[in-house]
Amino acid sequence: MTVDQPLEIRPPRSFAEAAEAHLDDVFGYLLYLTRDRETAEDLSGSTFEKALTRWDRFDPQRGSARTWLLGIARTTALDWFRAESRRRRREEAAARPEQVDEAFVEGLSPELETALAALSAGEREVLALRIVLELDGDAAARVLGISPTAVSTRLSRALKRLEEKVNER
Amino acid sequence: MTVNEIVDELGAARPRASDALRLQVLTHASMPPTRPPSLGERVRRPRRAMLALPVAAGLAVAAAVAVGVTQSSPAPVAREAVSSPSQDTAVRSVGAQPPAALAGPQVGSATSQSKAPAPAIGRAQRYTATLTLGVDDTDALSSATQQALAIARDLGGYVVSVQYATGERGVASLTLRVPSTQAATAVTRLSDLGTILAQNVQIDDLQESLDALGREIERARAEIAALTAAIDRAETPAQRARLVERRGQARAQLRELTATRAATSEAARNATIQLELRTDESSVAPVGGSRLDRALDRALAVLAWEGVVALAIGVAAVPLVLVGLALWFAHRTRRRRDDDRLLAAS
Repeated sequence: MTVDQPLEIRPPRSFAEAAEAHLDDVFGYLLYLTRDRETAEDLSGSTFEKALTRWDRFDPQRGSARTWLLGIARTTALDWFRAESRRRRREEAAARPEQVDEAFVEGLSPELETALAALSAGEREVLALRIVLELDGDAAARVLGISPTAVSTRLSRALKRLEEKVNER
Repeated sequence: MTVNEIVDELGAARPRASDALRLQVLTHASMPPTRPPSLGERVRRPRRAMLALPVAAGLAVAAAVAVGVTQSSPAPVAREAVSSPSQDTAVRSVGAQPPAALAGPQVGSATSQSKAPAPAIGRAQRYTATLTLGVDDTDALSSATQQALAIARDLGGYVVSVQYATGERGVASLTLRVPSTQAATAVTRLSDLGTILAQNVQIDDLQESLDALGREIERARAEIAALTAAIDRAETPAQRARLVERRGQARAQLRELTATRAATSEAARNATIQLELRTDESSVAPVGGSRLDRALDRALAVLAWEGVVALAIGVAAVPLVLVGLALWFAHRTRRRRDDDRLLAAS
């Protein structure tokens, strides 16, 4: 019954199938990284555009479609962060305050939302991958380009910091 | 709020893409890719890169087989090209004799592959020949050396020196002297002992020198006779002593001239032939084995050559590849560190 196997254990038959199955994962990951729904949506669109042009290079033996898409999403987000960093440096003289969307994830308590906003993008990233998207250590390590041990370390530090931020209020 | 509660809450509030984004992405995803993969992307594909090596190896083998098959046929043209003598006949005239006259009629039969020029009959000429022959193997080398010695003796000549060495490549160097009248015959018969690789015949006319020496000798003799007569007629002891001294000088000159004429005559009487026999593979026409064997041999030689070239390229490329890898690794590490710093600061 391979036809009805879930996507977690079989490669997608088409790019459309992969996009439909993992759109929420990509969007959620980018939302945690950027803390801005509009930006996350833009980056999600860009991610899937890039992924479509590279779809023939996707090798299911080297990782799942979800891991592959999240890797592209990460590259897209990093490009955006670099552009943002340059833009911020240029606008520093104007002292424009950074826009913060405190309620960037629906369904979270205000304390947790605020605490998440206080974390760095790197910390939110590992929380998104390991806790929100429930990637295992190996898959998260592939997306981040680090070892599974480093993922565990990064995750425990992020959780500890998040706990501190939540409880200090 | 504990860590477990935080984890539970985060896991429960999983973000969902908006319908607008979903529609946009799925519409886009259902279309075929607008941009075909670039050449660089195609080259980077691991599967194609993995194919490149066997394809290159296949091409190398195919080229070797093609060369082996095309060059294995026993084409008479190829054999002729290999065994064709690079005959270089140098004729130098010492007198006014025209070169054509120096060649003169052939002495002895010249029915074999080499028709060497012969010295002119009735003229004193120094004949020097250098002959390089290729033979199949060391057995043929030994046999040819023995036959060369026999030819020299048969023609009334003798062996001046013989050097014979075998190993990976056998060489025999012989210096033979035969009567000049048999020189052309000797060269012709010696040429039959192998494949001619090089031949050089030099004929120097000595007749003018001999004639001049003869005149000088006659003049010296006449002078001695005149001096002897003058000595008999000398009136004073002092005059006699002076004439005796002059006669002594004339006699010494006569001896010298006579010796020179004898040496020149000897040089004209016997020709010198330098013969070198070699077992050089490149000089031997491919005669042994079937066509398949020759094709295989040739293909293996081409493959070996290709291997040497590939090895040389590899040796030259390895340092560059290592430097490239080191640069790539350093760039990647730096990029990751920059990314981490960027995400930590955002």
